[in-house]
Amino acid sequence: MSMFFAFTLFLPLALSQGSAAPQPATTASAAPPATVSPDAKLEPFTVSVPVSGYKLNFAPIPPRPPLPGDAAKGIEPFWMCTTELPWDAFDVYVFKLDEPEENRGGVDAKTHPSKPYLPPDRGFGHANFAAISLTFKSAEGFCAWLSGKTGMTFRLATEDEWEHAARAGRPPTETYGFEGGAAMLGDFAWFKENANGQPHEIATRKPSAWGLYDMHGNVAEWVKGRDGKPVVKGGSYNDPAENLAASWRSPPQPAWNMSDPQVPKSRWWLSDAPFIGFRVVRENTRSER
Amino acid sequence: MSIGRREFVKSAVAAGAAGAAGLVVPSALAARAYAGGSDRLRVGVIGCGGRGTGAAVQALRADPGAVLVSMGDVFADRLSSSFAGITEELGGGGGDGAKQLDVPESRRFVGFDCYKGVIDSGVDVVLLTSYPQFRPVHLKAAVEAKKHVFAEKPLGVDAVGVRSVLASAALAKANTTALLVGFCWRYNQGMKATFERIHAGGAGGIGRVVTAHTTYHTSTLTKRPRQPEWSDMEFQLRNWWHFTWVSGDHIVEQAVHSIDRLAWAMNDRTPARCVCLGGRAARSGPESGNVYDHFAAVYEYADGSRAFHTTRQIDGTPSDNTDYVYGSDGSATINGWAPTYQLRDPDGKERWKFDGQVTDMYQNEHDELFKSIRAGTPINDGERGARSTLMAVMARMAAYTGQTVTWEQAMNSQEDLSPPSYELGPLPTPEIAVPGKTKLR
Repeated sequence: MSMFFAFTLFLPLALSQGSAAPQPATTASAAPPATVSPDAKLEPFTVSVPVSGYKLNFAPIPPRPPLPGDAAKGIEPFWMCTTELPWDAFDVYVFKLDEPEENRGGVDAKTHPSKPYLPPDRGFGHANFAAISLTFKSAEGFCAWLSGKTGMTFRLATEDEWEHAARAGRPPTETYGFEGGAAMLGDFAWFKENANGQPHEIATRKPSAWGLYDMHGNVAEWVKGRDGKPVVKGGSYNDPAENLAASWRSPPQPAWNMSDPQVPKSRWWLSDAPFIGFRVVRENTRSER
Repeated sequence: MSIGRREFVKSAVAAGAAGAAGLVVPSALAARAYAGGSDRLRVGVIGCGGRGTGAAVQALRADPGAVLVSMGDVFADRLSSSFAGITEELGGGGGDGAKQLDVPESRRFVGFDCYKGVIDSGVDVVLLTSYPQFRPVHLKAAVEAKKHVFAEKPLGVDAVGVRSVLASAALAKANTTALLVGFCWRYNQGMKATFERIHAGGAGGIGRVVTAHTTYHTSTLTKRPRQPEWSDMEFQLRNWWHFTWVSGDHIVEQAVHSIDRLAWAMNDRTPARCVCLGGRAARSGPESGNVYDHFAAVYEYADGSRAFHTTRQIDGTPSDNTDYVYGSDGSATINGWAPTYQLRDPDGKERWKFDGQVTDMYQNEHDELFKSIRAGTPINDGERGARSTLMAVMARMAAYTGQTVTWEQAMNSQEDLSPPSYELGPLPTPEIAVPGKTKLR
């Protein structure tokens, strides 16, 4: 199925012992096991999303040793998409644009979102705008779908991974992933003070030193919280500066889905949270064996 | 709002028990006894899809004395999943909410005639949330039986239905029974404040309203693949959005919200005529039925002013559900899902925005309905709802035929989209309309 989807992979040497040719979607487990030590330097790479051809750029995120007094183990290196996930990529998954039209109709309750009841992008913008108004389950569903299409392991970041990436190498006590504090926020983030009440095209503010855009602001991002439960990070276009801090978090709120008129309420879409999206990370190749 | 209502109900109960020492109880309440003199309001729901299930929950939350006593649907599986959903939403079988559920098997009605069973089951209030095709018939039966009604939008799919609804709305008015139509944005605090400000005129608004453009650009709706055991009728009903005879097409079924707001923006004036371009550009397969996937309607008023509505249901395209209202001294940008409630100077600078609290409009409409019933001053917005429905029907007629359709032509249209008979049997898929060929009826 995915044979006609071009992959542009700029993988490190350690990975290229197999074939850099497109990997069939269903043979992820048959891919040659790559051996990368946790401290090996990962290289950036690009994934071309099926059908749309949209290029998702992934930046390597270096490992982080355990913090002093931290019971948890450190963070293994991984790749993080440099941008929030745009509609250009999400549409293919949610509307099954990669399948023949006669297959798009079925209610595939386990793997694909229901048809959105609301205008999904709210009129804010579509191409190059972050996919929004979606639940943690939808975000995870996209990751599973993209993994199936590519044979790589995509998922949402853990809260620790996300914060580590957001700080871009600055100490864990830092609020933001750039120098200069809140005074510089407008250069790096769309937030309450400059966004005019709506999200903006992704990657239209400055990237962090690690090449990541919009970690602070634009749309809040789903991650797997330290307690294992869904949480959003990074703040959004709606939020004041303090909610854009790397450590800020919000668990799901009932108000985010207040106006869904259907019972049961959608498990895929959030009627009242147009400020929530996500970004994808790829696991270190060792776990793709 | 809901706090006030709950307090009121408590007060009413206390007044009955303790002799009303110092409590103000509208005399209309005393005049109206429900369910044998208790403070219970017995509710029945007709049409147990996701929306009917939601409406039932909202009705029960609107009034602590409301009890769901009967349910009806064409299909048994929809009814049972709906009952399960309501039970869960109210906190499970053992919770407090269970006191508001009293739907024994004997009051669960299945089939095309289910509405008769529900209406005759001793209810005070009926929720009409079945397919739009059935709405006029269900409404007529409910109003003639003197029931209070919540009727989901749209109120019908053709002019035959709209005329019936207008008669029912008038009868409800004469009987002083409630008829609240599910044009929920009329019950949204942000919308109300913004439209009130627009129509108040003067320096705080946008001057005199000149024109408006409302949009409902979105993706396609659910499609349910045909199952071998389904008859044609069942297949079409389960894919009801996609069959014009059941839904009225998406401009009538879904975009009618935005057409209602277009009417609101234009002061609920009657348009003189409508030209509408439409077509079916990105649909195929039997589940897609015979509906179009885009419309662009131009409404012209007697004074020559015009108002515009565009709607599209195509996957992978930008969505928009914004209303743009233009006045002689500024404009308004209104989008309840953003949410944006903003008035602007002629140069585009923000002049005013709504920053009050907005609560769930689907709950608000039921709160208002039950409050008005308790107060003995039942809401009836049936005529307005019927006229907004006809505005949408009028645009579909214009698009399907390619002709200019006057309000009189729409109102007097003989087009009757109901099927030859209501039974789960053969029913060919209706043809897809072709502008210039399909005749105006």
